[in-house]
Amino acid sequence: MAQFLQVLLSGLATGSIYALAAVGFSLVWQAAQAVNFAQGEFVMLPAFLVLIGEHWLHWPLWAALLFGFALSILLLGLAFKRLIVQPFGPDGGLPLVIATMALSILLKEAVKTFYGAEAEPFPSLLPNGTFHVGGAVVSVRDVLNLLAALAVVLLLTLFLDRTKTGRQMQAAAQNPGVAEILGVDVARMTLYAFLLNAALAAVASFLITPVYLAKFSNGESLGIVAFIAAIIGGFNRIRGALVGGLLIGVLDNLTATYVTLSYRAALPLVLLIAVILWRPQGLLGDEEARIV
Amino acid sequence: MLELSDIRAGYADVQILNGVDLALRPATITTVIGPNGAGKSTLFRAIFGLIRVRSGSIRFGAEEITNEKPARLLARGIAYVPQGRNVVARLSVRHNLELGAVTLADQSLVAPRIEAVMDRFPALRQHQARKAGDLSGGQQKLLEIARALLLDPKLLLIDEPSIGLSPNLVRDVFKVLQGLRDAGVTVLMVEQNTKAALAISDDGLVLELGRARMHAPAAQLLADPAVGRLFLGAAIEG
Repeated sequence: MAQFLQVLLSGLATGSIYALAAVGFSLVWQAAQAVNFAQGEFVMLPAFLVLIGEHWLHWPLWAALLFGFALSILLLGLAFKRLIVQPFGPDGGLPLVIATMALSILLKEAVKTFYGAEAEPFPSLLPNGTFHVGGAVVSVRDVLNLLAALAVVLLLTLFLDRTKTGRQMQAAAQNPGVAEILGVDVARMTLYAFLLNAALAAVASFLITPVYLAKFSNGESLGIVAFIAAIIGGFNRIRGALVGGLLIGVLDNLTATYVTLSYRAALPLVLLIAVILWRPQGLLGDEEARIV
Repeated sequence: MLELSDIRAGYADVQILNGVDLALRPATITTVIGPNGAGKSTLFRAIFGLIRVRSGSIRFGAEEITNEKPARLLARGIAYVPQGRNVVARLSVRHNLELGAVTLADQSLVAPRIEAVMDRFPALRQHQARKAGDLSGGQQKLLEIARALLLDPKLLLIDEPSIGLSPNLVRDVFKVLQGLRDAGVTVLMVEQNTKAALAISDDGLVLELGRARMHAPAAQLLADPAVGRLFLGAAIEG
């Protein structure tokens, strides 16, 4: 029981990082029908931007974090939209998918070439240590990671549901034609979705990199998992992506502990196949990809 | 009020409007009739800045508004209710109404105006917390009209309001339009249900092959045997 609790909690902690990436993924999908296969690299890169601030520019950690966050929003939000997504027009389709795959390779190789192929330690923003709950050893960092990620997703949903700008973003994503005739600035709302995705990716990066170290290849599995989490939860639902991310994190840890380590990478794919067979709209999704 | 002169517009290689001239009298209802493909909806999209006008000019009052963006036109007092379903399905009725007022400069006016349209359409007040997509087709149409009224438009463009509505609801919608006209709003409407629409209209416009063929008082069009034969289904009904 104690071990189960431990495994469950660390699964939720990992899953919450997947969830951040998946939520951003689904935001960009909803706003621009862009499937971003570079999402994993979007989570890999911000940590390196912080390391650049720290080691190359010799800034204190807080300044480096701020720098990494701002540059992430600029590069992964604004530049990604303007330079990669926008040129393909409103319906980018397969060419855009291939472009994001190319971007993923570019980001990975650029980090490898210009920063290094070695795993770099990344400063932890959260206290280390453990505490005991009913015989289970619980990592403080896991709990705080989970809480931080949940808080971010909660804030995001509050923003989308409770503010006028958030609802304009929803309108622009669900029905751009209607949003336009009501005078909503659809292009700006789409940009906000890209900026939010970049912010989510940066937060995910800062939370997960202390655990796994900063490495150019960090995004490889993360991108796929985020993609699968978004599909499992329901591609057109923020909450779906959250649930999908947490679910994969937990099942991943449970399989690794109780079944076998060798097949843990296959688990998200098995889940994906099961969901596509039995509930193609996702666990929380609607039948339509977009609601008219 | 609204004046179009020699408007040409279309999609890609296909020109749909081939020089439309039209002048609306203020505080009237004008119904556009014509066969499928005559360019009725395209005319609305051209006026509302959703497709580019290639040549000609559109004036609203004394102002030139050709090819202005919807947000700008809304601010000038032009509202547009397209055909089909145009609510944001997952947002509540109230939030849909709020969206109708995003271009309003003075946001403190939004809440009282929402109250005012809900007084006019009590069903919307009753369902204000429900998702717009869960309303019946007729209620959704009323919601769209109510949403268009939030900006207190001077000109309302409304495309096929009766599609998919029960006869009772069509009567309700037409009553709303008459009420607006009586309150000084100018209404330009496209409607399949031509006879009923002309019956509540002041003027009618016959659009054919992207040109205004006839623009006359509605009563005159209703009485015109040629118009009846061609566009009002008189021949079929005997």
